[in-house]
Amino acid sequence: MKKLVIAAIALGGTVAAGAAVADTSAKKIALSNNYAGNSWRQAMLESWQKVTSKAVSDGVVAAADAFTTAENQATEQAAQIQNLILQGYDAIVLNAASPTALNGAVKEACDAGITVVSFDGVVKEPCAWRIAVDFKQMGKDEVTYVAQKMPNGGNLLEIRGLAGVFVDDEISAGIHEGVAENAQFKIVGSVHGDWAQDVAQKAVAGILPSLPEIAAVVTQGGDGYGAAQAFKAAGRPTPLIIMGNRQDELAWWQEQKDANGYETMSVSIAPGVSTLAFWVAQAILDGKEVPKDLVVPFLRIDQDTLAESLKTTPVGGVANVEYSQADAQKVIEGAQ
Amino acid sequence: MAAEPAWQRLLAQPWLWSYLAAASVWAATIAFTQGQGGGQVLTAAFTFAAFFVIVGIGQMFVVTLGPGNVDLSIPATMTLAGTLAMRIMDGHEALILPGLALALGCGVVIGAINYGLIRALRIPPIIATLSSSFLIQSTAIWYNRGIRIKPPPALAEFATAQVAGVPVLAVGVILLTVLMHVLLTRTRYGRAVLAIGQNQRAAGLAGIPVDRIRLGTYMLCATLAGLCGYVQAGFAGGAALNMGEEYLLASIAVVVIGGTSVAGGNANVPGLWGAALFLFLLVTMLNTFGLGAGIRLVMTGIIIIAVIIAASGRQRAR
Repeated sequence: MKKLVIAAIALGGTVAAGAAVADTSAKKIALSNNYAGNSWRQAMLESWQKVTSKAVSDGVVAAADAFTTAENQATEQAAQIQNLILQGYDAIVLNAASPTALNGAVKEACDAGITVVSFDGVVKEPCAWRIAVDFKQMGKDEVTYVAQKMPNGGNLLEIRGLAGVFVDDEISAGIHEGVAENAQFKIVGSVHGDWAQDVAQKAVAGILPSLPEIAAVVTQGGDGYGAAQAFKAAGRPTPLIIMGNRQDELAWWQEQKDANGYETMSVSIAPGVSTLAFWVAQAILDGKEVPKDLVVPFLRIDQDTLAESLKTTPVGGVANVEYSQADAQKVIEGAQ
Repeated sequence: MAAEPAWQRLLAQPWLWSYLAAASVWAATIAFTQGQGGGQVLTAAFTFAAFFVIVGIGQMFVVTLGPGNVDLSIPATMTLAGTLAMRIMDGHEALILPGLALALGCGVVIGAINYGLIRALRIPPIIATLSSSFLIQSTAIWYNRGIRIKPPPALAEFATAQVAGVPVLAVGVILLTVLMHVLLTRTRYGRAVLAIGQNQRAAGLAGIPVDRIRLGTYMLCATLAGLCGYVQAGFAGGAALNMGEEYLLASIAVVVIGGTSVAGGNANVPGLWGAALFLFLLVTMLNTFGLGAGIRLVMTGIIIIAVIIAASGRQRAR
């Protein structure tokens, strides 16, 4: 049903934007991506491929090629951007290795008259557009949810992401802000799970024996299943674990829900945000007025939407949403 | 040597320091929690140290071959072997052994390719294995596209099984370690590896088939990485594209902390366990103390450097 509605909106969007088709049909858009080594990035590239190849065959744009650097390094990506400038792309959609280290290359692209739209890993260079996620709010929402479920409070275990990365600091700041507002909760332990199930499992297994009873585990995505495994291995009761939209997390949740009515929620950004960035770049090339800072909504899964989300998520993949031209229009209007 | 008292001989053992470090870090953790959960921490430590030890053994043999020898393709090999095996098995218990054979075979082939690059194209090992790791990792990405496939239930049960708090997997790896200790110290192959590490030219003149031994060592290392990828995927509920990431530094760290000489020619198998336990317990201790991420990383660096200095100081004294 929901899909149908989205499809209808998309159709409407294409028709409504009919006038735009002529204006960008000769334009070339490139995706500059810094990393491909996990399931989230793979889904991101797949969504890009799926949505942009249709846009190209529909004649909305002339080309939409994806380029990924081998080593997840800013210097390498800066060189890649310089190549894209020389190759004559009209817009570069960018998931950046660093918020600042690419500023020089991004400025060069802007000076060459190229539209730069950064998303997920955004850049600080003012000439570029930014499609960011309010990660702080995401962390805060987790604590708010736990507080609703457990009004009496309790001990929290926090699983953080990769140390030193902007996203990790933001989500964690949101979680701590949420805990400050809900004084009945206390963070009794904090480990780095690097957004990977096996790293999270190892870190939690190490700290768990020294912790008192845990009421809930607040996470950053990609670490919930590993945490659940660690609790099981230690023979401790399973707390409320916030999930991060990975299929193994959702499958585990569904299993627990069927077995004992387990309740939690799952939140993350959809990898399809790359397609939103694509449509935003297209809108800018089309001459539309677009604010420099846009905010993309989270993809949140709750008890009642779990079964449906699990069905549409590929085994071992990540829950995903692909955005349409109309969705992009809505996000742009929302920011104006 | 023989005239020295027993305690002096013990003090001169290069592996001693890694065990001392592991024990004191464990004691500090337990003191902080006032005795709570000491046994469980040890159970967890043995479980996770086992993975470090598997790749550490392979890296140790390679490093022992002499200056410049190192295998940087371990993480990629783990990932490829793990994903290939999980995907072929696809959760079927009848395919557990063929899956294992595939993971090991994957390692054998990668080891041969690595040494082919080093010998035939005369590329230094550090660059050869790094560039081959890009090829291997890309193959894994291409083959698997980020999909995480669950291991067969029996494999997952075996990998996570415990008997009275003792992880079965760790017992298996301890047996493997004993085997490898015998291989290093009691066989012609092991002696040849040590001889090449001390002086490759002299070893060649003494009639040791240097090329065959080096090829075998790189193959052994990659095969153990394949084994580690296989059991790690079984343990963690599936192979992920980033599963090998932390094993690059860890595989080298356990070798060095364990008392093996980075310059080659002098290896130490028992030290691998002490070092692997130490690495896990160190992170656990700093997590338990609740220190911030920055301080945790700085402390990890300082403590590792301190242990290495202590260990090498002993060797010099000898």
